Amino acid sequence: MLTDGLQLLTSAIAAASLAADGGHAAGEGAKTAMDAARAIAPAIDAPSLAWAGWILWLPIISAVCCGLCAAFRVRGKLPAWITVGCLGIASILVFMLYGRVDGPVTIHLFDWISLDWSGTTEGNRAGRSLVANFALYVDSLTLLWMLFVVPLGTLIALYASEYMEPDMRVGPRRGSGNSAHRAIGGGGPHEGAGYARFFAGVSLFLFAMSALVMGDNLVMLYLGWEGVGFASYMLIGYYYTKPSAVAAAKKAFIMNRIGDLGLALAIYLIWLNYGSLEYDTLWMVLAAAPDDLAVGGWSVQAIPFLLMLGAFGKSAQLPLYVWLPDAMEGPTPVSALIHAATMVTAGIYLIARTYPFFLLHEAALPTVAWVGGLTAFLAATIGMAQYDIKRIMAYSTVSQLGFMFLGLGVMTSFGGAYHVFTHAFFKAALFLTCGAIMHGFAGQLDLRKLSGLRHIPGWRVVSYVMLAGCLCLAGVPFTSGYFSKDAILAEAFVTPGPGFQFLGFLALFTAGLTAYYTFRVWFRVCAGPVHYEPGDEGHGPSHGEHGEHGEHAATAPDHGGHAHDFHPHAPRLAINLVLIVLAVGALIAWVVPGGAWVESMVSRSSAAAGVPGHGHAHGGAHGSFLGFDPHVVMYYVSAGVALLGIAIAAWFHLFNRKAADDLRASLLGNPATRWLPTAMENKWYVDEGYIFLVRAPLWLLGHLLAFLDRFLVDGLLVDGIARLPRILGRAFQPLQNGLLQGYAVTMAGGVGLIIAWVVWVWLQGGGA
Amino acid sequence: MTAALLILIPLVAAIATAVAPTAIARWVAAIGSLVLLAHTLVTSMFFGAWGTGDFALTASVPFLAEFGINLALGADSVSMALIILNGILMPLCVFGSFTAVTHRSREYYAWLLALAAAVNGVFLARDLIFFYVCFEFTLVPLFFLIAIYGGENRAKASIKFFLYTFTGSLLTLAGLLYVAWRYSLSLEFGGAGGDLAAAGTLSNWTFDIATLTTFASQELLPSQQGLVLFALLAGFAVKVPLFPVHTWLPLAHTEAPTAGSVLLAGVLLKLGTYGLFRFALPMVPDAVIVWAPAIAVLCIIGILYAALICWVQDDIKRLVAYSSVSHLGFCVLGLFALNPLGVQGSVLYMINHGLSTSALFFLIGMVYERYHTRDMDSMSGLGRRMPVWGFFMVFFTMASVGLPGLNGFISEFFCLIGTYTATPDSPSGYPGVLGPAYAWPAAVGMILGAMYLLIMLGKVVFGPLRVPGEHAHSHAARHGAAESGDHATAAHGGATTGSAHAAGDHATSTLPQDLSPREIGILIPLAVLCVVLGIQPKFITDAIAGSVTATLSAYAEPVELAPAAVRSADPAPSSDDAFIVPGAMSPNPGAISPNPSAVSGITLFSIPARALPLETGSTHA
Repeated sequence: MLTDGLQLLTSAIAAASLAADGGHAAGEGAKTAMDAARAIAPAIDAPSLAWAGWILWLPIISAVCCGLCAAFRVRGKLPAWITVGCLGIASILVFMLYGRVDGPVTIHLFDWISLDWSGTTEGNRAGRSLVANFALYVDSLTLLWMLFVVPLGTLIALYASEYMEPDMRVGPRRGSGNSAHRAIGGGGPHEGAGYARFFAGVSLFLFAMSALVMGDNLVMLYLGWEGVGFASYMLIGYYYTKPSAVAAAKKAFIMNRIGDLGLALAIYLIWLNYGSLEYDTLWMVLAAAPDDLAVGGWSVQAIPFLLMLGAFGKSAQLPLYVWLPDAMEGPTPVSALIHAATMVTAGIYLIARTYPFFLLHEAALPTVAWVGGLTAFLAATIGMAQYDIKRIMAYSTVSQLGFMFLGLGVMTSFGGAYHVFTHAFFKAALFLTCGAIMHGFAGQLDLRKLSGLRHIPGWRVVSYVMLAGCLCLAGVPFTSGYFSKDAILAEAFVTPGPGFQFLGFLALFTAGLTAYYTFRVWFRVCAGPVHYEPGDEGHGPSHGEHGEHGEHAATAPDHGGHAHDFHPHAPRLAINLVLIVLAVGALIAWVVPGGAWVESMVSRSSAAAGVPGHGHAHGGAHGSFLGFDPHVVMYYVSAGVALLGIAIAAWFHLFNRKAADDLRASLLGNPATRWLPTAMENKWYVDEGYIFLVRAPLWLLGHLLAFLDRFLVDGLLVDGIARLPRILGRAFQPLQNGLLQGYAVTMAGGVGLIIAWVVWVWLQGGGA
Repeated sequence: MTAALLILIPLVAAIATAVAPTAIARWVAAIGSLVLLAHTLVTSMFFGAWGTGDFALTASVPFLAEFGINLALGADSVSMALIILNGILMPLCVFGSFTAVTHRSREYYAWLLALAAAVNGVFLARDLIFFYVCFEFTLVPLFFLIAIYGGENRAKASIKFFLYTFTGSLLTLAGLLYVAWRYSLSLEFGGAGGDLAAAGTLSNWTFDIATLTTFASQELLPSQQGLVLFALLAGFAVKVPLFPVHTWLPLAHTEAPTAGSVLLAGVLLKLGTYGLFRFALPMVPDAVIVWAPAIAVLCIIGILYAALICWVQDDIKRLVAYSSVSHLGFCVLGLFALNPLGVQGSVLYMINHGLSTSALFFLIGMVYERYHTRDMDSMSGLGRRMPVWGFFMVFFTMASVGLPGLNGFISEFFCLIGTYTATPDSPSGYPGVLGPAYAWPAAVGMILGAMYLLIMLGKVVFGPLRVPGEHAHSHAARHGAAESGDHATAAHGGATTGSAHAAGDHATSTLPQDLSPREIGILIPLAVLCVVLGIQPKFITDAIAGSVTATLSAYAEPVELAPAAVRSADPAPSSDDAFIVPGAMSPNPGAISPNPSAVSGITLFSIPARALPLETGSTHA
């Protein structure tokens, strides 16, 4: 038994190192976008695979059915089963597609946008048609994403079928913690409406995400891009009577729109420069273009930066990350699915998919690396100081996404994609355990008010699944997160670039912080003596779904409102089943498919373009980590860092919990260090910065313009001109005063003028 | 005759409604509008000019033939698309007014139908005088609709609306008459087919739009074209409305009855953009090329300015009205991109804005009917009480925001990409005078648009429930009623049973708490169209392609500029590869290499080298 395990471990390390080495060998000598693009195999049109379209249609059908369930007020779990069924079939289709597709294929579904005016003008026809059809581009990168998006969606829908039960029984959300609002809520309760609405949103999300990943052109990617944004808006604002949820939803959508603007502008530029928006054609165009493409003026070089803006918005990177922590207002399955596992990785997908464009400017990838590295660090520091476990997970998501961008930036798209894949499983598992805790403890999420869960009967599954997730997130050796994170860390030292060494150390330090805050949660919540307080409605506006639990507690006799007779209800089959599947997946994601598998998936797609561009195998610019080969030494260093972080967490949060409070108190007590915990707990005041620097000026400008519009443009100009006739009339009014003398004077004056004019004309004529 | 019926049916229906007994007037109007819709749809089915640049449904009746005035009708695909939009909106407006308008309803419906007739007349006119008469006549019904059936401030709104747009269109008339006069002069002094014997008479005057368009685009000096363009803008920009001549719109929209707002946003604003498309673009290309950047700047200011104003509005109807100013900025911007992408996008925008904004006005009207307020601060979380209404509100807001998959996205996308591509050496084959410098700030409007519309949603549809007017009553009573309503519905398992309690306080309102089937029936066609046009914009883009390129013929790249080698390398387009970018497939890398100077710098007021027959034409003037 033990030997088997050891063998497994050894082979895993071998597989992972193989993957890393494979990554280096793959792009040998590839230096430019053109070379990179040439390496991408042209896609084959595959009409026989048209059934793959059902991967998109099934979620749409499910969304429509759930919508109808909401409209007809269907009670029961019908919407959940429809969703789980449709997504389950879609998952099977994804696996079938994986079996059928080898190289890139395109599958045309139907015409969407196709303008062609080349017949009306002479000459060059490039750039005279705009084609973006509903078509699929399936290559290994697509499949890599689809293989976790759809199955995870199915699992989480299954989980939600139990989790969202309270919404099935009583209608729309009350929330807002204010019972007065509930009382005035004169609208009839619509049984099951919320439940169906939830699943409609999830289905819609799966459709949009699949379109984003599978689309064969940038416009379809944009469709999915905005579509997931809308689904996310709908689901964050699921508890729509709660102002904080509405605000969070709005914030998410608008922040994303800023990113979307970048993506849209990039799409325009790509079309302007390359005359197409379809990936396959684009790769061909890039391959055929002359090699000095990289100096094609700003309109070419701006492309990667605009794409980056889009990616940073969707994947919550600096400076656009502030929406993601607030997005935790949504129900927890949504947080797990959309805001941890799938949607937020769309930015990574975008960059991986359009990797050849990122070689158009030499500063593009370093920018990605720096933004990723700094975001990872900043979010980790914020995560350390939060008390809400869901929020800690949210900041950890931001931080891990930063790692992925760092990976992309230091030219290991393999590492980035690998981390996306593993992160999807372990972060989903972590969120779902948080959700289960929240579900069972009436919305309690404060890690100071929960302790020793693993000793409570019925909570063992949750506790150990959480442990599995934490181990992966912390990067403890031989978990999936360990291998994927190492691939990124090592590459940061290997690839030469501006400050990459520094980023490598920063990332290493961040990895230590990650291990610390992750196990801070686990040691606090799951270990230690048994102690818990249930959440309550007035628990605070920042948390998700207290409302329903409060009501639940009030109506169900077995739920008292007080801690001493409060019995947490342990999760049942659906939740536990999903948790176990995810935990197993998270822990062994590296054994079954292995790093080599992910590597092969990435290297056969556009994400492999130009990776790595340093040709380090020849020894030239091979970076090092303190004189050692990073790929070798990183396995030991990062393991040490992770264990150190866990040890510190264990000291402060398991063995000597008072020490943590003492430390905080002493930091706060000292004027010189007070700023540190304050700033960290207040999220470095980034939100406030946005309000003061962007929102307030625009709001003032809006008021100013509204004022100007009313009083200057409309009032002074328009009404002023309109008043002119009246003013003129007033001016001449005295003339018509009926006094004879006045008329006589006017007449005489008129005659005089006429005479003067005649004389003047006569003189002019005479002069000529 | 078919074309004439498009005008006559609503006209006859209007007269019939006006003389019908009050009790059945609304049904007469409904039947009239449905007949109009049926006739429109049948006509469009057999319409011969889809996809081509030709005019169909042509008919001409001499009216004052000695002055060259005829009742000439005809429609190209763009006109027809807008006629269909009008035909669809008209029955919806009639049905949408069933409960809203209860006094003087005969007149009301008669004016609505008369408006439909006038609008169809504008879209069908092929004679300047007839065009102008219809264009001005649209003001009359709307004036009465606002002045009689409007809100508190209706007198001011209707007068301002009338005078403002009337003044503008008088200048337009002057400009168009100027063109006709120059034409007669050109004949008089030995122009083509000139007859000296006829000199000094009116017999060589014509008001045929096609003739005058060709004449003006080829024979007028750029300076003369500039005058004409200003005259056209005076009428059409006010109608659109462009910044800074937009101030009548929020007022008129706010005060107009629901159907009036719907038609105003749905079709009347489109008269302005249609006028620009029909007259400004083909008639005065030299002036357009010169002034396009200035107009684009006004559009961009309008987009951002109106969006920021939207943000701080309290009046929901005024907010949507300002959003129209912002949205139509995109529409006009696309028009002045002067390439097929932008103009296609612009025409699509006319239709899509007509669908989604009309629906938003309907939705606001439905709330107004129930609560008699438009103040966003007095309402909150109505989605809880009216979930069906909330659904449609979110839906149409998203269509308006430009969510891909719904209609608004495509048109916005085309307008912006068209503007982006409108550089002097554009690869699109249509050298323009705009470019990225114009598209970037306009694109910021996308963010602002999402901002104010979502803020509106957040205030009105979401949030804790606060029903307008209810706080004015005794709190305890309201709570009691609401709660008993809750219990009643819970017991009966239906929402509508409890609504009588909630709505009972409003003496005038006999409406259910959530939308009635009639109201849902109004919104569903619009929603279906939004989805269909969102996923199959080809229905329209293919149909109007010919018209667009015909309108843009003056702006296409001259043949000489195209390198012959590239042309020969290009295989002839077959129907099969029509959707593949052929240049990218061609082995010649030069064909697709990026043009570094394609978007270089600002092109404000620069005139691209174009080989228009300016010099040849100028001799006549």
